[in-house]
Amino acid sequence: MGTITTTILIPIVGMILLFLVPERYPKAIKWLTIVFTSSAFLASLGVLALFSSNQFNFQMVEAAPWIPAWGIQYKVGIDGISIWLFLMTTLLTLLAAIFSFYIDKRPRIYFAMMLLLEAAMLGVFVSLDLILFYTFFEATLIPMAIMIYVWGGSNRNYAAIKFFIYTFAASIFMLLGMITLAKQHEALTGVMTFDITAIQALVASGEFWQNTGNLQTLIFWAFTIALLVKCPMFPFHTWLPDAHTEAPTAGSVILAGVLLKMGTYGLLRFSLPLFPEATQAAVLPIMTLAVIGIIYGAVVAAVQPDVKKLVAYSSVAHMGFVVFGVFSLNQAGMMGGAYQQLNHGISTGALFLLIGLIYERTHTRAFKDYGGLKAQMPIFSALFLIVMLSSVGLPGMNGFIGEFLALYGGFMTAANGQYGLTLAYPVIAGIGVILAAAYLLHMFRQVFYGPLNPKLARLKDLKPWEIGLVGVFVIFIFWGGIYPNTFLKPMEKSINATRMMAINPPGQRPAWSNPNHEIDAQGNLVNINARTTNGDIDTSAGFEVVAAADYYAQGDSATSIQPKR
Amino acid sequence: MEQELFKNIWWVLALPVFGFLIQAFAGKIVIDNLGPKLGRQVMGGIAVLPIAAAFALAAQMTIALAKIPSGERSIILTLFEWITVGNLSIPFEVRVDALSMTMVLIITGIGSLIHLYATGYMAEEPDFPRFFTYLNLFVAAMLILVLGNNLALLFLGWEGVGVCSYLLIGFWYKDKANSFASNKAFIVNRVGDWGLTLGMFTLAFMAAVVLGKDGAEPRWLSYDVLLPNAARIASEFNPWVLTTACILLFIGAMGKSAQFPLYIWLPDAMAGPTPVSALIHAATMVTSGVFLLNRMSEFFALSPTAGAVVAIFGAITALLGALIAFGQTDIKKVLAYSTVSQLGYMFIACGVGAYWVGLFHVATHAFFKALLFLGSGAVIHAMAHNQDMRNYGKLLKYLPITGATMLVGWMAIAGLPFMSGAFSKEEILIESFASTLTWYGLPIGQIVFGVALLVAVLTALYMSRMTYMTFFSGDERWRLIPAHAHGDHGHDHHHDDHHHEDHAHDDHHGPDVHGFFYTDAEMADRAALTPHEHHHDLDESHEPHEVPPTMFIPLVVLAALSVIGGGWLFFGVNLADWLHSAGVVVHHHEAPKSIMYFVQKTLAKPIFWGATAAFAIGVFGGWFIYGKKLPEDDGMDTSKWKAWRKAAANHFGIDKAFTQGSIKGGNAIGILSWKVDKSLVDGIVNGLGTITAGFGNLFRMFQTGFVRGYATIMQVGIAALIVYFVYAITTTGGGN
Repeated sequence: MGTITTTILIPIVGMILLFLVPERYPKAIKWLTIVFTSSAFLASLGVLALFSSNQFNFQMVEAAPWIPAWGIQYKVGIDGISIWLFLMTTLLTLLAAIFSFYIDKRPRIYFAMMLLLEAAMLGVFVSLDLILFYTFFEATLIPMAIMIYVWGGSNRNYAAIKFFIYTFAASIFMLLGMITLAKQHEALTGVMTFDITAIQALVASGEFWQNTGNLQTLIFWAFTIALLVKCPMFPFHTWLPDAHTEAPTAGSVILAGVLLKMGTYGLLRFSLPLFPEATQAAVLPIMTLAVIGIIYGAVVAAVQPDVKKLVAYSSVAHMGFVVFGVFSLNQAGMMGGAYQQLNHGISTGALFLLIGLIYERTHTRAFKDYGGLKAQMPIFSALFLIVMLSSVGLPGMNGFIGEFLALYGGFMTAANGQYGLTLAYPVIAGIGVILAAAYLLHMFRQVFYGPLNPKLARLKDLKPWEIGLVGVFVIFIFWGGIYPNTFLKPMEKSINATRMMAINPPGQRPAWSNPNHEIDAQGNLVNINARTTNGDIDTSAGFEVVAAADYYAQGDSATSIQPKR
Repeated sequence: MEQELFKNIWWVLALPVFGFLIQAFAGKIVIDNLGPKLGRQVMGGIAVLPIAAAFALAAQMTIALAKIPSGERSIILTLFEWITVGNLSIPFEVRVDALSMTMVLIITGIGSLIHLYATGYMAEEPDFPRFFTYLNLFVAAMLILVLGNNLALLFLGWEGVGVCSYLLIGFWYKDKANSFASNKAFIVNRVGDWGLTLGMFTLAFMAAVVLGKDGAEPRWLSYDVLLPNAARIASEFNPWVLTTACILLFIGAMGKSAQFPLYIWLPDAMAGPTPVSALIHAATMVTSGVFLLNRMSEFFALSPTAGAVVAIFGAITALLGALIAFGQTDIKKVLAYSTVSQLGYMFIACGVGAYWVGLFHVATHAFFKALLFLGSGAVIHAMAHNQDMRNYGKLLKYLPITGATMLVGWMAIAGLPFMSGAFSKEEILIESFASTLTWYGLPIGQIVFGVALLVAVLTALYMSRMTYMTFFSGDERWRLIPAHAHGDHGHDHHHDDHHHEDHAHDDHHGPDVHGFFYTDAEMADRAALTPHEHHHDLDESHEPHEVPPTMFIPLVVLAALSVIGGGWLFFGVNLADWLHSAGVVVHHHEAPKSIMYFVQKTLAKPIFWGATAAFAIGVFGGWFIYGKKLPEDDGMDTSKWKAWRKAAANHFGIDKAFTQGSIKGGNAIGILSWKVDKSLVDGIVNGLGTITAGFGNLFRMFQTGFVRGYATIMQVGIAALIVYFVYAITTTGGGN
């Protein structure tokens, strides 16, 4: 049993053990959960230690038959796109579990749900089999919905049902798409399989979608809409503010930090590599939705009377940047989008945690009940300030790097006139950065500035363990902003390969299943088993270049910036 | 060996960062242990030290730099790779050259003087270490801004100083007005940053297209890649592309350097403590826009249209700021609008292509405006934090040192010949008059020259107004305020509202099991520890006193610089040649034998007399109006003011239109969008949900728990769909 499977199994074992502890020992339940979430975190660090940044392909692959008759298997593996999401899952769950010491209501089920959720989320990020992915993807719904339903706020009933039905309903289409993919593979090779590496190999060579008419477009949207609902992208976002607002703090942290990323992760893992032509054709509509989401989420966030709803709508805007970066199909842009997933998890996760800390004390989220907290709780306000600024995208903090690269990528694609994109897209998306400052500073001002609300006069500042909890986030905020290469380098090759899978013509696309394919230091796709005898091709390792990294491809849109001919 | 010396630049950057960390983490502990008086003295000393040490190191390096032949006078040092992705690489690299070191000397030199002053000014402040935390962090960010060797690092410093400015404007956060002012500053600056980001991207794109063909390293934002190739990069695109890029960069400069229409945040920024106004909102941060234009002058010089736009906006700002200053009675607001106006002056210089003159004015303005702001702080300090000049008068008698130094500052900004301000102002007038810049056939250079000359008169006049009203003019007018009857004038100090806390009652429910709240005993202890502020208001019994040495020593040093600084930079340093070695475009280096050069030489003399006349008109005209007594047109009763002054006091409605317009408009759009979100976007979802729930009710009869119920519905639904789908796909043969 490999490291990845071990990491997934640890929370499940923990969950089973929890049911052996009687409910009347809440301390024991809580500590047991901490032990298992910490172990899962350590195990995921083990995965990181074994991970190599020098290949784009899946590593630590484990496979076992599950339902052989239908070509379904248990197959997991990790690459540059999933490695950090895998780690962020274990880290955020651990931190959310520590915060949950404040949970007194039915702790055993609560922590069991949290562990189940962790296992399911981990599974999502490493599944290499479509049905396995779908199983994990849907398995996250039930514990999350139960967490909202039992431990949520006043309107939790509605929020939980909506969350469950909305995201479940959308993913049915994805399941249909998956079955079609397997059937198509069977039609071509006689073998039915849900293994994405096998399917993608045929996509890379161009056979898969030959003579299928508009089937590719159809299945692309079946996948993509399900994933965009999860992101969530305008106009599929309305489940999010309700779910976030009603969820208990730990639920909000995990929801913002990890669950939303399952959507954007899915875009990178399936939509781009499996449907290249459809992806290129969809750049314009999806970028349009992303830009609308960036502006719309920010505008609506600015008028919220409730601090948690404000942050929830800000997630719509921030996830818009992720999708903007990914669908720019530019190297920098895709790196930025992928990195912004992590940043959003850290920043927004920390914001929800901080809101949770104050909510435990005051039991209110309305701005009118706050004011002047800066003098009363100086450490809390300093931490809140740092996290808020990271969400604003201040340079030197993590949020900046992702937004900057995503906008840069979008700008380059538009300036080149590729995929019909015009410069209006990055220009308008950039306004989202102004708006982010407007609504977040507005929030900070209402909570911390002005005269002290007399109802808050008895509040003590944060306890040391709470400071430590938020401190972990703060470390990542600065680390991610000052030395982002720690996080960017391991992603680079996989992102490059994914981009080439989406934009290169058939035959020049990398294939996960082709052991000869690799990305060299210049970003070119090379065949490592074919050393060139031709002196014309100048690559450092002297391998045959399958496809050059086309930094400067020119498009032909009339609105692009073209050099004089 | 030389290279070893330049590695000290990392210390110049690191020292303020260390200072910041010490203040942030140790400040409160030290003050709690040593007591407020000694503790603040110690922490104040620790705050000044790193900035002064950085200045000493920078001065040593600058002297060494001057000894290097001018062609090799730019040293680039790389610390680590900051952002590296395939087609973009941004190292953390600094550039030591004449331009950056000039700015470093201004920042650390004037910065350490203002830090010293602030230890006195803030001596009674309970939140002392928080102030110096922000101030040291500001210096660190400002140094990154000027030292970074790429536009992304400039942006890091650019937003970093912005956030320090935001924190310091809102330093006295209990006053709601201050928190609005700080938000306004940050958000308006973000509008500028939007332009700066897009301008940066445009240049990077151009560089990538042109230089990428050579397979160059993708450091598209680094100066040493962009600047030497400026002409080549620009020549491969239509001229409008470069013009757009330059104007976008200028939008960034507009925000930070308070140019029309983005100047509206700067006057409100005076809500911050006065040392902040001097350091950030006069001497250093607000001049970063001029620095940016100097740094990118290779590109701006290639686009006459961008130059014309810069000059026109500079002229509008210079005139507008000067006019509004006449309607201000708050001494700091006069200086704030004066700063806006002088910044406009600097952009006039940059617009007509005399970038180095813009930076020359940055330096001289830093001397005299820092002096004037610090002096005004001393006056405010002596006048019980009342900032209304109409309550001052005859203060020279009570504040001899402050008064004398401020008179020097007044002479410098008004343009007394051979004072520092006169040199840079004359250069701006000469350069704009001699400029050959035309736009749509309009002689832009000569037009902005006319505006600049008018502004020179206005500057001398409103500064004389301020000086006479404060230090001369008739009576000691605060004697007219009866004791214990105060109007609501500008306050540079915050009030603790202790009354509220006394009424606080236990509002939480149930026992405090987690220990979240203070007990009654702890509340009593806290009340005892809270320092009681003895806030003394200005009234007839008030006796102004001269400020302590920590506060007047910086004034004296700055006064000396205001006298000799201009001449020294012009003749001693030869600033034009010095900055040219850093790649700043300087006209007479580009074409030493051009007609314009001789025109300039010939015109220098008449323009010297013109500028001197402007000075004389302002100063003597000011004496005529304000010298004897406060005129009714400028008195306490604003209803007796002339219409134009009332309009100027209201900023001609511009600020209100922009601020209220954007807040109200934005709020309306936000509320409307939210309604659409709830009714339409979510309404469709809920509508679909209701229809489905019709089916759901059938199943609900058998179910109790909701999750089980809906899961079952879904499972049945999915099963049906899958069966159908598998059937369909097998009968059609896999989609073919």
